Amino acid sequence: MKLKTIIAIIICKLLRAFSRLVHRGGTAMPGRIALKVCPELLSIVSKGVKTVAITGTNGKTTSSRMVEQAFLEQGKSYFANRSGANLISGITTEFVMNSSLTGKCRKEYAVIECDEAAARRVFPQLRPQVVVVTNLFRDQLDRYGEVTHTLENIHAALEPIPQAKLCLNADCSLTSSLALDLPNPVVYFGIEKGAVPSRPKPEISDATHCIRCKAEYDYDYISYGHLGGFSCPRCGYRRHKADYAVTEILSQGADSSSLIMDIRGEKHMVTVNLPAMYNIYNAIGAVAAVSEMGLGARAAIDALADFQCGFGRMERFRLGKGGTRMMLVKNPAGCNQVIEFLENVREKFILVVCLNDRSADGTDISWIWDADFEGLSKLSGYLEKVVVSGDRASDMALRIKYAGIAPEYIETERSYEKLVSWIEQQEEPVFIMPTYTAMLELREVVISHCGGSEFWE
Amino acid sequence: MELKICHMYPDVLNLYGDRGNVLCMTRRLKWRGIDASVTKLPIGDSRSLAGFDLVFIGGGQDFEQQVLLSDLHRGKDKEIKAAIEDGVTFLTICGGYQMLGSYYETYDGKRCDFIGALDLYTKGSVKRMIGNYKFQCSPSAGGSVVVGFENHSGKTWLGSGLEPLGKVLSGYGNNGEDGSEGAHYKNVFGTYSHGPLLPKNPELCDLILKTALERKYGSAELLPLDDSFELLAHDEMCAKL
Repeated sequence: MKLKTIIAIIICKLLRAFSRLVHRGGTAMPGRIALKVCPELLSIVSKGVKTVAITGTNGKTTSSRMVEQAFLEQGKSYFANRSGANLISGITTEFVMNSSLTGKCRKEYAVIECDEAAARRVFPQLRPQVVVVTNLFRDQLDRYGEVTHTLENIHAALEPIPQAKLCLNADCSLTSSLALDLPNPVVYFGIEKGAVPSRPKPEISDATHCIRCKAEYDYDYISYGHLGGFSCPRCGYRRHKADYAVTEILSQGADSSSLIMDIRGEKHMVTVNLPAMYNIYNAIGAVAAVSEMGLGARAAIDALADFQCGFGRMERFRLGKGGTRMMLVKNPAGCNQVIEFLENVREKFILVVCLNDRSADGTDISWIWDADFEGLSKLSGYLEKVVVSGDRASDMALRIKYAGIAPEYIETERSYEKLVSWIEQQEEPVFIMPTYTAMLELREVVISHCGGSEFWE
Repeated sequence: MELKICHMYPDVLNLYGDRGNVLCMTRRLKWRGIDASVTKLPIGDSRSLAGFDLVFIGGGQDFEQQVLLSDLHRGKDKEIKAAIEDGVTFLTICGGYQMLGSYYETYDGKRCDFIGALDLYTKGSVKRMIGNYKFQCSPSAGGSVVVGFENHSGKTWLGSGLEPLGKVLSGYGNNGEDGSEGAHYKNVFGTYSHGPLLPKNPELCDLILKTALERKYGSAELLPLDDSFELLAHDEMCAKL
């Protein structure tokens, strides 16, 4: 044990304690400074901890919460980076807080959500036993670059850890291509043909051409976006059979889904305590992760029925007479899934969209034109009003107008305080779609009106 | 009246909300009682460009560029050139704009031949030019102030006879050095501005529509629309830059 390691750990713990004293999160900053003192700190504090790491474009946080719920219910000694601080700084902070001064971790397991661009720095130090890659979609192009660039980043992150078991989305041609040339053991999860009503190819797909030979993929079904039964007519690269498969979706409600999972040949009835198709993917990925960590599929399945995600992901608040649900949106693929969820709301409701363009949101807001807000124009009779807010509220209003909603149904409210007070007065349920930084700010205001928890809890 | 719009390569050139431009054009025509049809011409589709009044080409990822180039060199390149010389209106953005030039040279010196419809070329650089920006269109392109978002590492240089679309007021534009942005040749409007370009810049959108209508019908007057949403979004961004 080197002295600098102990100094780094002490610095990290003190900075965190100080942050909490002044009512700040202190989720990333302490680790960032500690890593300057001891760059290999994460590899020291994560040594001997059985870790599952979750990365990919969409669903990292929700999948992590699902996995964590299983660890919690099984009474395992574990911790997780719950706060969304998913860069090397935040992950290091979390490990240090669970370690002794000599860097020995007090917990047996760790459930770690990791940013897809940060994985390259994190994984070689973290050496997770299991890595889940949820999916890959175009996302914040100004920050991540093209989606193939993100794929390369994850590939590079996995190269130094050939023993890690990979749980890959079988339906995502980009994600499952990681198995083409990495030596790691791999299991696949996905939704089978027949479980979803097949739909035509979307107007915009993030992976139309074969990642290996660039021929155009054929599909025998599409679940959403570019996910589904792809095959390349030229080189033969195709969807791998899923070891963890959703074979039937029995019902999709406003609050939950019920489905049948086929787990290595055994059928299970499963209830997922969250609505929408993308959460079915998160659920099956979480089952794969928990099983591969050795807790058994049953532990994961039980957890899915109980867990609550929170933190802006389909999070419910007792705000307004009809209740409020907050649904974080970050990119076209995720946004389309939320719009599709709204298309199935069969009662009158109000939609609030909060668009920010700060660096954590992506400074380029052009993605709102790639998302299918046109779906809202089919909801006359249900959609009562659209309120836009956030730093780029006027751009959002414009998008909604061109989506086919008449301007008299579109209102702008820039003050979150006024917005939340207004929502409180409403009879109908309110659905809020915020981008990341808008969610953080708006959520605080909502919580001050109706209760909830701080973001690091 | 009707405009026949062709959206070229919507399957691969669709990176930055580009389809918002097509949506904007069709809505603004229909709000004025003018018909608009949009034909998508994906890769591998050999239908001819003849008969279209307005051609839109957006920007895309590097990954699909080879697929795109081999499709272009199967005859689309000659068709595009002929249509441009014939006065068809084109709106081309980012990758679609670069593609009309003679070539792209990557930072490490690899050269990729484009179609040579416009006298311009692009050279890759290390630094990406990213951010909100604004430029003033040249008088021949209506003179309006345009706000958009640029994200490119290629630096584009115009030949001496080619007019830029406008002058950069804030941001990088064609190359971040000579203050020029985009290109305007006959009825071709080429620019780096996505975001997308047209919804927040209704004046430029209407100019492009008018150009296409006038070529087809001899003259065209566009009725004014209520652009309060459009101008608010435009003016807010303008004030920040």
